[in-house]
Amino acid sequence: MKKLVIIGIWLSTLAVPAPAQRFFTRNAKVQFNSDAPMEKIEAVNKSGTAVIDTKTGNMEWKVLIKNFIFEKALMQEHFNENYLESSKFPNATFKGALADVSSVNFGKDGAYNTRVKGALEIHGIKKDIEVPGTITVAGSTLKINTVFTVAVADYNISIPGVVRDKIAKEVKVTVDAVLNPLK
Amino acid sequence: MLKKILLFLVVAGVIGGSVGYYLFNKKVPSMADETSKIAVSAEQLFTAFDTDEAAATAKYVGKIVAVSGQVRESSKMEDGTPKVILETGSAFGVLCEFDPNTKHARTEFQPGETLTLKGECAGLNLDVQIARCVVVQ
Repeated sequence: MKKLVIIGIWLSTLAVPAPAQRFFTRNAKVQFNSDAPMEKIEAVNKSGTAVIDTKTGNMEWKVLIKNFIFEKALMQEHFNENYLESSKFPNATFKGALADVSSVNFGKDGAYNTRVKGALEIHGIKKDIEVPGTITVAGSTLKINTVFTVAVADYNISIPGVVRDKIAKEVKVTVDAVLNPLK
Repeated sequence: MLKKILLFLVVAGVIGGSVGYYLFNKKVPSMADETSKIAVSAEQLFTAFDTDEAAATAKYVGKIVAVSGQVRESSKMEDGTPKVILETGSAFGVLCEFDPNTKHARTEFQPGETLTLKGECAGLNLDVQIARCVVVQ
């Protein structure tokens, strides 16, 4: 009988699937807004990729600059050709990790406020940043949200004098993504 | 004479201002009106980026391409705009985001069907991404 109980316990441990360690999406939404007094500039990229390792907290994000969708043709053209020079620097990346991996219990559903540290590369310039974010664990998915600001001058993006007043010196970046277990 | 010069300046100013205003507010045109000079299969396009990303970036990024292939996966973004992944024979595919500025005749696609999509090549982000796509008839 005792043996049967031990075997039963052993079998039950086998029956529990190991939680996924790496999560991924190719549908991350990255949006930026520049709310200068004269003109509102807004663009969105809905095909960002992201992968996060829940054991180490390491993560990588990438968006292609050409895939930012604008409403106005001239803005899109200036953004790609003059400011971000997307032919020369086709993507923006973030490589980093959770500042404290224990701040998120990936095994328990809930919304966790946390911080992420790492290197943000835009326009070929890499800068260390630390930003707040929320990770929501919901069943087998992770929802990640963050809002932070980027100073245009930090990334060597020069804005011509004529339109300088139309473009804010700081751009608000909003990230929304739902990541699924990487099979 | 002075009156004529003033009148000319006013007319020129109004025309210049109107053209400037039009250009400044002009919407991104529909991809349906653009012409593609490059036709390529999804497999060829992905292989080009997978083999030599820098060379493929120089050749394709920013260009309007017509990509043909079989649908691996089809989904819709939150605003209802379709997103299709074309088969490449690799773990990653050619991801085509549909043009939000075009009224699409079809928004549902079946895995396995063959499609030709026209859009602007954005580069490699695991998949090769094509922005602002429309179906080529």
